[in-house]
Order: sequence, then C-alpha cells, then structure tokens
Amino acid sequence: MQYSSASLIDKYLRTRKIPSTACSGCGLGINHKVVIQAIDELDLEPNDIIWGTSIGCAGRQTFATWQGDGFAGTHGRVYAIARGLRIALPPEKKIICTVGDGDAFGIGLMHLIHAARSNCDMTVIVNDNLGYQSTGGQFGFTTPQGAKTDSSPYGMFEHNLMSEGMDVMHILKGAGATFLARHVAMDGTRAVDSVKRAIENPGFSLVHMPYPCPTNFGSRELGSRNQVNIYRYIKERAKPMESADDDTVWATGVWHDASGSRPEFSEHVWNSVEKIRRTGAL
Amino acid sequence: MKRFLETGNFAITEGAILAGCRFFCGYPITPATELAEAMAQELPKYGGVYLQAEDECGAMHMCIGAALGGMKTMTATSGPGYILYADPFGWALGCEMPLVVVNSGRVGPVSGITGAPGQGEFYLTRYPTQGGNFECITLAPNSAQEAMAMVVEAFYLAERFRMPITVLGDQLITDGFEDITVPENEDEMKEMGFRTYERGVCTGPEFYPYTDELDIPPVQMGSGHGGLCSDWTPTVEGYDIEEVEAHHKHAWRLIYKVRNNKEVFNHLYEKKYMDDDPDLVVVSYGTPSRVVNTAVDRARKEGLKVGALRLINLWPFPDEHFTRKTKYLAVELNWDGQLVREVERAAPKDAQVNFLGTCGDLPTIPDLLETFEKLLKDQPLERKGWELEAW
Amino acid sequence: MKDRLEIVASGFGGQGVVRLGQVLGEAAVKEGLRVTMLKSHGTEMRGGYVRAQVVLSPETIDSPMCENPDYFVALSSAAYNRFKDTVPDDGVIIFDPAFVEDIDGDLPCTQKELPAKQLAVDNFGRPIFSNSVALGAMAKLLEGDLGKEIILDSLLEVIPKFHEENRDAFQVGYDYMS
Repeated sequence: MQYSSASLIDKYLRTRKIPSTACSGCGLGINHKVVIQAIDELDLEPNDIIWGTSIGCAGRQTFATWQGDGFAGTHGRVYAIARGLRIALPPEKKIICTVGDGDAFGIGLMHLIHAARSNCDMTVIVNDNLGYQSTGGQFGFTTPQGAKTDSSPYGMFEHNLMSEGMDVMHILKGAGATFLARHVAMDGTRAVDSVKRAIENPGFSLVHMPYPCPTNFGSRELGSRNQVNIYRYIKERAKPMESADDDTVWATGVWHDASGSRPEFSEHVWNSVEKIRRTGAL
Repeated sequence: MKRFLETGNFAITEGAILAGCRFFCGYPITPATELAEAMAQELPKYGGVYLQAEDECGAMHMCIGAALGGMKTMTATSGPGYILYADPFGWALGCEMPLVVVNSGRVGPVSGITGAPGQGEFYLTRYPTQGGNFECITLAPNSAQEAMAMVVEAFYLAERFRMPITVLGDQLITDGFEDITVPENEDEMKEMGFRTYERGVCTGPEFYPYTDELDIPPVQMGSGHGGLCSDWTPTVEGYDIEEVEAHHKHAWRLIYKVRNNKEVFNHLYEKKYMDDDPDLVVVSYGTPSRVVNTAVDRARKEGLKVGALRLINLWPFPDEHFTRKTKYLAVELNWDGQLVREVERAAPKDAQVNFLGTCGDLPTIPDLLETFEKLLKDQPLERKGWELEAW
Repeated sequence: MKDRLEIVASGFGGQGVVRLGQVLGEAAVKEGLRVTMLKSHGTEMRGGYVRAQVVLSPETIDSPMCENPDYFVALSSAAYNRFKDTVPDDGVIIFDPAFVEDIDGDLPCTQKELPAKQLAVDNFGRPIFSNSVALGAMAKLLEGDLGKEIILDSLLEVIPKFHEENRDAFQVGYDYMS
C-alpha cells in the first residue's frame, strides 16, 4: 500500500496520541491507516467526520486520535449513542466508529443490530483482534474455533459467529445493513476501496477487519509473540470471497452492497416529523 | 394558561416540551408507557423526535447521543428500566452531559406489581451508577402539576450543572389524573416560576475544567471545536488519561460542582406546621406526602403538635432541615426503610427517628394518626416495616 | 359544596370505570374545582378489578385517596364486597344489579339500585351505553355540586362517538334517579 504516514498524520490525526501505546507488533495501526487513507482519498476534512470509539484495544487506541470531534462510548453502546447523535447532526456530517470484536459482536450486538435495522448512517469498522485482548486474551464470538486463549485453555469449542457455516455478516444483512465488507489488515488497497464505499453509503455500513495480536492471541494460540506467526496465521485463513474454500475463516471483499437502497434513518425520521408537524399525519 | 384534567404522564410531557426538550427515547414499561405515548403524540407537533429503543440502556444512550449533538433530551421509565440506565448514567455524569430522566416508581424488587406505587429507588437515584466519586440531584414531585414544574426545573438544572437529573415520581403521580394548569407562553411560564436555560456549546480548548463552576456549556459533537468526551478519566482537553492526580481533579468537580452550589435548588421543599417547634416532624416525599399532609391537618385539629416536612430535592440530601432535636417519623412506600436511614444520619444523635413504611399501597390516614399519637405518647409502634429487621 | 367530595367507581376491566371518573373529573375542572383521580388496575389483565378514586374540592387536594367515599358506584360483586364498608353513614352506594347480586342489608349507608345495563339494553339495544346511564344517575345525585349540563358536555367530550345515544342514555339515568 502506498502510504505517506507523515502527511496523513499532519492532516487528520492528533500528534499527542501518535504514536499510540499499542503493543509492539499490533496490527491495529494498519487498520487505522486503511481508514485514514480512505478518508483522504474521499477528500474529507477533520470537521466532516465525528469519530466514535468503543472499549477495548481497538477503541482505546483510536480514541482522540482524530483531529475533529470524537467520543468514546461505554462498552457496546457506541452504536446507540451514534444513533442518537445522528438525529442531532447535519446529514452531511459523517460518523465513523472504530470498535473491537467483543464490543460489536458481544456486548453491543443488540445495539449494532438496531443501528443496522434503522439503516442509520454510520460506518462501523470492527477491528477484530480475535478476542478480548485488552483484558489479557479471552476468546470472543468470532475467535476461530479451536483457538487456545486464557479462557479457552483446551481450545475454543463453543459454537460461534464465524464457524460451522455461520458468519456474523448474515445477521447484519438480515437486520438491514446496506453495506458490509470484510478485509484482513494486509488487504491494502482492496481494504481502502471497501472502506471508501462504506463511508460513501448513506446508511449503515460495517467493515469487519481482523488484525493480528501477537502479544496475547499470538502467544497463547501460536506459542510465541513473534509477529510473523500471527500475521501468517491470519493470512492463511483469509481469502477473497471468489476463491474461498472450506479452510477459509475470513472470506474477504464486499460482502453485501445495497448502498442507497433504503431511506437513511435520520433523514427518514426528520421527514416523518416534518410531515406530521405540517399536516398532522403521515 | 389552559387548565384541564390529565395524567401526570401528560403533564410531564407538557413540561418537557416547554423546557425545550425535542428528543425523547424510551422503552415501554408500566407505569411510564403513557409518558412515552404522549411524547410520541406531542413531540412531532413541535418538530421533535420520539424514538423507541431496543431497551432502556439503548434508550438513554440514544438520549446521550442526541444531547451530544446539542439537543435537549429526556427518557422515562420505572424501576426495572432505571436499573438499566446504570451504564449510560455513569457516562453522562462523567462526560457532564445534560439530560433529564424520569422514574415512575412501582413496587419492587424486580417486576413486582406493575400497577402499584413504590419508593424503592431513593438510594438508587443517589447512586444510579457504579464507581462513586460523583454527586447527584434528584427531584421528587408529589402531584401532576408539580411533576410538570419539576421536569422544567430538571432541564434547567441539567443545563447549568451539566449533568443528568432524575425526576423521581411514582405510579400514582404519573398514572393519576389531576387538574393541571399549563402556561402557553414565556410570560406565563415566568409567572408560574418556571426557569429555563438555553443549551450552549463548549468551544474548548478546556472542555473539563477542574473547577466547581456552573454554566459551562457541554461538549458538542459536530460543532467543529475538536471536542472530546469519553468514559475514561479526562484531561481538561478531554484526552483519556491514567493518572490518579487527574482523576482526583475530575472527581472533585463532579462532587463539588453540586455540593458547592446547593443554593440553586435547595429551596425545593415544603413545610407545614413547622413554625412552632412541633413535637413530631413527619418526613416524606412524593405521593405519600399528600396523605401525610391530610393526616397532619387532622392531627392539628385534634391538638397534636405535629409538623410535616416534604422533600422535593432529595439529593444531595438536605441535612439542614434536620438540625432540631425532636421526634421524626419517615413515611415511605417501602418496608425496608430508605429515607429513614438518611433522616437518622442527618438528625442529631439523640433525636428519635421512626419509620412507617407501606409496600405497594399508600398509608391510610387512620394508620398515620394512630402512629402520631403513639409516638407522642412514647408508646411502641406495632406496624410492620422497620421492625421487620427483628423477624 | 363540602370541602372534599369523594367518589369511588369500581368494577372490572372494559366497563368504563376510569372513563366514568374522568367525565366527572373533567366536569369538576369546568366548575373551577380542584380534582384528583387515581386509577388502579392489574395493567396487563383484562377483566381484572378496576377502581377509580375521584376527589373534588374547592381547595388544593392533599390525599388523593378515597378512604370514606361519599358515593360508591359498584359494578361488580368483588368491588362491592371490597369497598362497601368504607362508605360512611351519610354516603351512598349505587350498584348495578346486573353485576352485584348479594346486597348487604346491614350497611348503615344509603344504597340505590341502578339497573344501568338493563336500561341501556331496553332503550338502545346495547349495553355499551350503560356508562352514560350511570353518569346521568350520578348527575342527579351530584346536583348542587356539579351542573347536569356540564357533566353532559364533559361526557360528550370524553366519548367522541354516538353523541345522540349517549345524550339520551344520560337522560335515562338522570330520570331513573329522579
């Protein structure tokens, strides 16, 4: 990926938070850069975007990195906050939320589904580090089956949202999300293109982006903090959707694109309110 | 002004709209459902938005979001929903976000009886979230009319103190019908003593000054001032920081902006027959206080020197009313005794503090009169309630 | 009027008990009185017991509870048995014999039979107007406290449909009590 870090940092990020306090070898920065690159390619300014973050590695590390306005929600609730905020914001302002897998697919799944249901204009970037890593490394609901973590010392054996034919994207599509994509951190420009389309969709968009955690996931599952191992682990299990096979855990690419196919939440609400105000009925 | 017969739920709706509330998000729960319904009916007429959330936790978070975007917002529930506010309540306290929360108490714990009044959230409105290191303001009206007024007041206090304010009612106040008088313009609002405060925008760079000052506008997303807010301990600029010194300053503000500015709301109480050093002071809030008032009227006619102190501002607890060494009787809608504990704490050590609790229904006037007489004659109380501890 | 007038109506869900209280309350507001009305019911159950407690006064009303109602409109046996003993000696129980079968003859208060359901069926072929019949009867009993026309106006405001039948039913009840 062609990426001129210094100029993008000057343009969009707060130097006070860069570099971040992430562990050595953490892949979150790659995901973060993908999003910033997409924003830059869309010619957006810091004041065009309100940045929301969650709890956990992904949220904490990205909070207050954006030069514009930013907020962090309690665990799993940033989607509900963003829905309320969407009502109050001018429609041209964008909301981007960088969150973790536990936040989005565990504690916050119900709020996430309702954000998708209402087709609320926001772009949720789920930075999936394969579990709960900021608490030391426990399995999440998209952690690959069999993986050894601190809370699955014998291997993760539960049914989850990313195995046995299951994919969390089915839930989100069924709920009404209008743009869904998945990329792993190493997807480079393909990932940037998907994030651009996600941001441009006037509705609910989500990009699922698994990334490597050498410190906790790598050390428990792969027996080493050597980042090469965890990068290889993810790369081996990710394939573009067209060439995915039975061993593929993360089929990458644009999973569902119905951009603009349904009225956006806040626009729909305000149009309805305005009609009731003027005519007394819908 | 217009005057008509309506429920407390409707009166609260009128109050919220008068105060500038243009966003309501709730979740159906008896006995606060009609409030949500009235909001759904009325708000669009004023260009406001009613939303129904996936649960109470989501509801208050959506209110937070709209408040974060500059709107005046309210949510309403009963006890089982109020407990789900714990998460967003903490966020709103920490991020100093103004909003109004109505709790219509019903008998508990858990679901209890939907249609029976209760006062089980006295302490919960003081500690609506975890972690401590904050102060809360709670207003407890005792009629539909006053519920309207206190909701307007809650919006005023929420803005000035930059925090969520709870209006604590009960099933009888919200579900009950009463004649209400509603002001129709700003002059009439002033005439009725309604105070309002416009939302401002914090332009930074100090978003969380470590002071006890009021009237600092809240952070607003989308205002382009680089505002930050999070659930973490903030620096004055809003950055997250893991330093105990910073947390001390933050916590000090959350506590002392309220404690050092009590004069803004500590006039919210009602005293009846309290000018002649009564031998017994009956303390209550909410609907039971109305029965107490009637009972105290009758007691005075019978020559008993009883006074009534009704609290409207419950938190911070108004200790200043309990300086006299006399007999106190706390009357409340629960059997475990909540208000009474606070009266015991606030009253002089050698004052006698008694308790009369009911569970799911109001106390009756004969019960109250009998209790007054016994206490004045130093006879033991036989009612259930406080004595349950001995069971 | 006296400084405090208490009216209790109680029956089961769907009879219009709350509506009845609401109409009298609305009329009292029009008369310039202060009003409270508590409604209690098992909220999620149809057919459960419903009670409306209305207090009218020229002054601010403290307790909204009707501990000794001046009037008690009983529309079910359960309600009658539960609240009959709260009615003071100078109070009045109005009961509908279609719903209240066993009358306690030992009560010191006045008891008036009002076959509202039967009158509604006889005059209009439908029991739904029995509530308006009962309100007409109450208008007669409350003469001097609340104006008959004001109660009727409130009735027509609160119940927006079938104005003609409701007006007639109201008169039937009023005449029955006269």
